[in-house]
Amino acid sequence: MAQSYGFEEEEFTTKVNGRVVMRIMRQVTPYWRWILGFIVMIALTSVADSYFTYLSKQLIDEGIVARDTARLTQLLVRYGGLSVFQAITVFCFVYLAGVLGERVQYDMRKQLFNHLQALSFSYFDKTPVGWIMSRVTSDSGRIADLVTWGFLDVTWATLNIITSLTFMMIINWRLALIVAGVIPLMIAVSFYFRQRILVQYRDVRKLNSMITGAYNESIAGVRVVKALVREKKNLEEFSDTSCAMYHAAYRAAWLSALFLPAVQIVGAFGIGAVVWYGGLQARNAGVSQMGITVGGIQAFLSYLTFIMWPIQDLARVYAEMQRSVASAERVFSLIDAKPDVVDREGAFDPGFVRGEVAFEDVTFRYEEGKDVLTDFNLHVDPGEHIAIVGPTGGGKTTIVNLLCRFYEPTEGVVRIDGRDYTTLTQHAIQSRIGVVLQTPHLFSGTIRDNIRYGRLDATDEEVEQAAKVAHAHDFIVGMDKGYNEDVGEGGNLLSVGQKQLVSIARAVLADPAILILDEATSSVDTLTEVSVQRGMEALMAGRTSFVIAHRLSTIKRADRILVLKAGRIVEVGTHSELIRARGHYYDLYTRQFRREREQVYGVGEFAAAIA
Amino acid sequence: MSQNLNPKLLQKLTYDLKVAVHKNRLVGLWRVLTGFRLLYLGAMIAIVLGAFTRVYYYRVVQYVIDTVVGEGRNTQHLPWLALSFVGLAVLEGTFAYLRGIWSAETAEGIALRLRDYLYDQMQRLPFAFHDYAKTGELIQRSTSDVDAMRRFYADQALGIGRIVALFVVNFTMLLRLNTRIGLLSVVVMPVIVAMSYWFFGRVSKAYDRYQDQEAKLSTVLQENLTGVRVVKAFARQPYEIDKFDRENWERYHLGKKLLIMHSLYWPLSDVLCAGQTILVQAVSAMMAVRGEITVGTYIAVMGMLTWIIWPMRNLGRLIVQVSTGLVSYRRVADVVEQEREDIVAGSVPLDAQIRGALTFENVSFSYQPMAVLQDEDDKKKDKKGKEKETAEPEKKEEELKPVEVLHDISFRCAPGEVVALLGSTGSGKTSIINLLLRFYDYQEGRLALDGVELKDYPRSLLRRNIGIVEQEPFLFSRSIRDNIAYGVHREVTQEEVEQAAQAAAIHDIILTFPQGYDTIVGEKGVTLSGGQRQRVAIARALLKDPRILVLDDATSSVDTETEEQIQQALEVLIPGRTTFIVAHRIQTVMNADLIVVLDKGRIVQSGAHADLIQQPGLYRDIYEIQSRIEEEVVAEVERGVAESEFTFEPAGVLA
Repeated sequence: MAQSYGFEEEEFTTKVNGRVVMRIMRQVTPYWRWILGFIVMIALTSVADSYFTYLSKQLIDEGIVARDTARLTQLLVRYGGLSVFQAITVFCFVYLAGVLGERVQYDMRKQLFNHLQALSFSYFDKTPVGWIMSRVTSDSGRIADLVTWGFLDVTWATLNIITSLTFMMIINWRLALIVAGVIPLMIAVSFYFRQRILVQYRDVRKLNSMITGAYNESIAGVRVVKALVREKKNLEEFSDTSCAMYHAAYRAAWLSALFLPAVQIVGAFGIGAVVWYGGLQARNAGVSQMGITVGGIQAFLSYLTFIMWPIQDLARVYAEMQRSVASAERVFSLIDAKPDVVDREGAFDPGFVRGEVAFEDVTFRYEEGKDVLTDFNLHVDPGEHIAIVGPTGGGKTTIVNLLCRFYEPTEGVVRIDGRDYTTLTQHAIQSRIGVVLQTPHLFSGTIRDNIRYGRLDATDEEVEQAAKVAHAHDFIVGMDKGYNEDVGEGGNLLSVGQKQLVSIARAVLADPAILILDEATSSVDTLTEVSVQRGMEALMAGRTSFVIAHRLSTIKRADRILVLKAGRIVEVGTHSELIRARGHYYDLYTRQFRREREQVYGVGEFAAAIA
Repeated sequence: MSQNLNPKLLQKLTYDLKVAVHKNRLVGLWRVLTGFRLLYLGAMIAIVLGAFTRVYYYRVVQYVIDTVVGEGRNTQHLPWLALSFVGLAVLEGTFAYLRGIWSAETAEGIALRLRDYLYDQMQRLPFAFHDYAKTGELIQRSTSDVDAMRRFYADQALGIGRIVALFVVNFTMLLRLNTRIGLLSVVVMPVIVAMSYWFFGRVSKAYDRYQDQEAKLSTVLQENLTGVRVVKAFARQPYEIDKFDRENWERYHLGKKLLIMHSLYWPLSDVLCAGQTILVQAVSAMMAVRGEITVGTYIAVMGMLTWIIWPMRNLGRLIVQVSTGLVSYRRVADVVEQEREDIVAGSVPLDAQIRGALTFENVSFSYQPMAVLQDEDDKKKDKKGKEKETAEPEKKEEELKPVEVLHDISFRCAPGEVVALLGSTGSGKTSIINLLLRFYDYQEGRLALDGVELKDYPRSLLRRNIGIVEQEPFLFSRSIRDNIAYGVHREVTQEEVEQAAQAAAIHDIILTFPQGYDTIVGEKGVTLSGGQRQRVAIARALLKDPRILVLDDATSSVDTETEEQIQQALEVLIPGRTTFIVAHRIQTVMNADLIVVLDKGRIVQSGAHADLIQQPGLYRDIYEIQSRIEEEVVAEVERGVAESEFTFEPAGVLA
């Protein structure tokens, strides 16, 4: 918990950054008509709000006190008319601002998602998925809120304060000046409290996520907790966090409980002043002469009572703005991220790829000083099958990443059909390389959709044909809805073996010239296992293939075997050459052979096999 | 930090929430309030008094207008009257403040009590529960549902109370001022309340749909991010962009619908409220003109009216929200009412010494599947998908049948002996260990430790004396030091931790981490390999110094070098303790004092290696297979050597 990895959710910078605000504004300039629209509407609403109070004043002075029923009726009609008018403006601003908010979110998410598709693999390697998700989901929402409801509230509040003051000036300028002295104080108190509440809630959120983490761990590790009789100690530790949460939340509530009364009390001094001064004037000048009228006093009281709402709105928006601007900073940092791998100028699509691959003196490192692949040389003929074996961290995955051009070599050249692959477009390379991963990734949707991912314009027949080639057809037609069976989120309604079969079918449909297979280490159930093997064989036939192999049958079948260790090729050759060498491969092979035989005889799961 | 709590609150925390569970949700929520009722009542009273100060504010205004300004009497009181406005504001502020802190104290206190209780509940519920409950579901109930309950007490119940109090107080006062006006002031009210209730009901449905779509969109995004290799490898970026755009557009669309509902409701309810205002305004203004009421009364009436009408618009929202609070109560109560496992009950004293002699006599054990925490889910299913309605109940009954996993198990071992449990997955090895730790209790037969029935031992005593090293040990996301010292119930010195780590052959590796023993394990720190995790677990067991040791065959998933290191570490750990080795390879068990061969929950053979190897049976079969495999390895190697590239056979095992 002490460590920070640069992706911690720093919620906001203390200063509102002007450049970021300008950039947010640029983001919404295409919608200036909408913004103008809701600003006009909220302005009208705000003025109407102040005018209502003034109307009430007129109603008292010119209607009731003057005992003028005609004028009274006229004013009541005006009051009603204004209500209807305001209903219309309210409808307009809620609609305009609300829909615009959704629209801005839609745009930002789209922009972010599209940008993410263009970013290189390296970005996803070092950025947690959760971090990216928050940018696209919650941060975009916060920015949209700022440019809609934020602007709206500020406009309403500012205008409301200004128009209220104006009307007060019209009614009695001396009294208005006294009141004007109270307002800045109310604003200061509001901003002070809002800021502190904001900071307090940040603590609450932090503690809350710690609590969720604690629950998660205690459930996941319940066996250890019970076995080590840690219940009491754990509860004590948890209590520390939950009590801290109690204190933080209570403090936030305490600040909130102080906040409005404090503003109100400041306002009450204004009210007191109005009553005192107004009463004195009335006494000196008699009712409704030079000084202030009954309606005037009432209007002042109203204005002062309700002015705390726009003030506290301003404070709230100001506080929220800090979070929104921080959100925007993070969103912009994502938008500003540049892909590492880009198509060179003049990059082209050769149209046809035979599948000849060459690594020439390739060195690669993710960070300075730590080579993960050193002086790697390999020439592969079209149609050749290469098996890559070796311990974890030996550089197997790096070769795959380089070949797919997820990364480019730090030094050296990768050639496809004799051409330096940086002269080709990424699309040209990637659309001709098929990948079957160890833990296959499927997308929510039907099996058919997932196979068709290999070639989007494939007909249903072609999809089924591919499934047959991949030996996936049998299990698919065995499902309730066959090809239309839903695979669930991430494919988790299928077994691992079934997912593999679907992903093989997907690759078959894509018909790539070069194939990369990452074999599963753990065996799936025997029946699917056989299908997976046959599917892989069918898929590899006639294609240049790189297999990160774990199964002996696959390894032995390869034209050449590459043993990688610490970023270098330590052995290369055919199975029998390498066995004769009695080196690394020999060790690996015999170990694996022993394991496979144990499995065949069911010694791993022996009882079942013997019985 | 728990020490910082005031003693009163600490005492409230000891309340057993299980008592608060009740079928009627409102009764349940009332019981959950236990210990906080006085505070909460105080908050309610503060609300009512706050409403009164508001009324008195208007009464003072009325007096100032009518008597001082209107009639010009008592003008010398003006400064006092002015001050009384400040006084009233202070009073109202005080009530608001008290309501705020008292309700916070109640709601946060209840949340704290719930959180602590649920946390303890998680770790004290038996495995019979955990086997069938989903982690995500449990976490959701402990976090979002607890928060929904907190909001029920903090905002919703009091919010409704406030609206009702404002209504009752202001309405009564209006009636007293003038009956006709008072009655007139509420004519539109039922319409406003009904409309607000209807509207928020519909909005909450529309909002659910909007949230569902949001979840769908998140799934597309998440799948795209986690599957970035596939997307890139198939160059499917344009397709992904389209897919995301479709869901994103749908979300925009639903959001727009929701906004249109809002943009219609608020002005409509505004007009209704305005209509109510104008009605009262017109009538009372006319009365004032005719002199039936004073100007001051008119002003007071209009002021009070505001507090009757406008808050009502939110009543519907609160009522709708309360229903989610009730649902959350039920979901939390479902977890709370589960029976905990008692870890201290048992006739053997908690500080008894254990030697480690074990006797199994005809022990049989069946798992009793439970249906836990499914009611809400099922209800949802019933609403959403009707296809499976008929199939479901049958299936459930079938699932709930007990499954026998151990049958008639008998063997014994003396203190310090090594027992190997040999068998395939599902043969019952793990179940025996589970019984030993009393994670489950056996139904038939006798299991004695040092001659005393195991059920007489308090679970905590047993577990303190048994150390486990599991195949894939669970480490907590805290420092390596804390992980090693995790099972020891006393202060542990750095030296002790290091000694244990050294014995477990992990010390040197720990020192290569930048923060050494302070390095955090897991997502927020370093990721340890399987072999490293195992050795940390061995160090953990070493430090615990248990009488009985359980080792889950650890070495199957690591390379030779690590295997040797782990083996060495184990050799330090085993001597002098009764040890159970759970294994499925013969090499690991040959030296055991007793080998128990299990198949489908029964013992098929038992004895020492030397005996078992003499008798025909499963053990010897396995042993022979192992030897045969060694021969095959040699043959395979020879074949590989002999194979020239020209006679390469493409077919493998499958041919």
